[in-house]
Amino acid sequence: MSETETTPAGEAEVVPGGLELRSGAEPAALSDVPPEQVPLLPGEVRPHPTPFQYVMIGVVLVVLTALEVTVSYLEGDIPNGLIIVLLLVMMVVKFVLVAAWYMHLRTDRPIFRRFFTLGAVAAVTLFMVVLTTLHIWTGP
Amino acid sequence: MEQTALAPAHDAYDSHGTATGVTNAKLGMWIFLSSEFLLFGSFISAYLLYKGRSHTGPKPAQVYDIPFTSTTSFILLMSSLTMVLSLAAIQRGDHRRFRIWILATALFGLTFIGGQVYEFTNFFREQHLSLSTNLFGSTFFVLTGLHGAHVTAGIIWLLSLFGLSTQGRLAAGDSEKVEIAGLYWHFVDVIWIVIFTVIYLVPK
Repeated sequence: MSETETTPAGEAEVVPGGLELRSGAEPAALSDVPPEQVPLLPGEVRPHPTPFQYVMIGVVLVVLTALEVTVSYLEGDIPNGLIIVLLLVMMVVKFVLVAAWYMHLRTDRPIFRRFFTLGAVAAVTLFMVVLTTLHIWTGP
Repeated sequence: MEQTALAPAHDAYDSHGTATGVTNAKLGMWIFLSSEFLLFGSFISAYLLYKGRSHTGPKPAQVYDIPFTSTTSFILLMSSLTMVLSLAAIQRGDHRRFRIWILATALFGLTFIGGQVYEFTNFFREQHLSLSTNLFGSTFFVLTGLHGAHVTAGIIWLLSLFGLSTQGRLAAGDSEKVEIAGLYWHFVDVIWIVIFTVIYLVPK
């Protein structure tokens, strides 16, 4: 979806403070807006998740953290290489869940995702090259 | 003539008056967070580079208290949840819930920092590990200390929002201010997700 594409909210109405309301929602009723009529924030393409969805993501994050800690205690029982892979996979899943759901990258304009991904990929690439150059993977 | 030529470009601007179609404040925060990857990446890399190269102890396996750090990590994760709940509340104009959730987020953050202070103190007094003891001490304290400084800045920011709200100076129309503070807070959380796994949990 391009940055200039119109939002699903259709013809949004601009109210003081920069909020956009879907058609039919009254600015005066901001304190009592039904979930489907929560004002869109600037840069928001689709509505943010509901509080219930936020809680569900929180539960998944807690379960993943518990799994991570459990896997870390398996040192000696399963190969260290497998432990590292499992830990890194769970770390990436947690990272993506927070970025996508809590930081709203899945519902906001793609320009934010592009900047964030650019920084993350650039940093990982740069430091992988640096660490490889310094032979970190072969040990001290 | 020039004005006629510029007109279509102005039409492309949206209600925020920016060429990108998003507010400068929010875009600026995302660009700042993007650059923070490089900052934290350099300190994580330094830790990994010097890992196992200390000639003297103590070593990571001797000092880490995984159950304790897991608990503080859990607390920081929960602070991200309360942060988004505070945003959801102010978007709905529910200022009472907003104040509850934003204060809970700040308190979770304070608890995390308290845990970090306890951990640092324990390492220094019981394990005799300081910034200058060995390479592990230097890289560990600088990395986690840098993260702690970010959390502390976030707590001050959250408490400022709480103060504004109690004074009635934070309306539902100011939700973007809360969202931008939330972006910073969640970033601090995702960085800790990486630090917790790479520094504490990966086999020594």
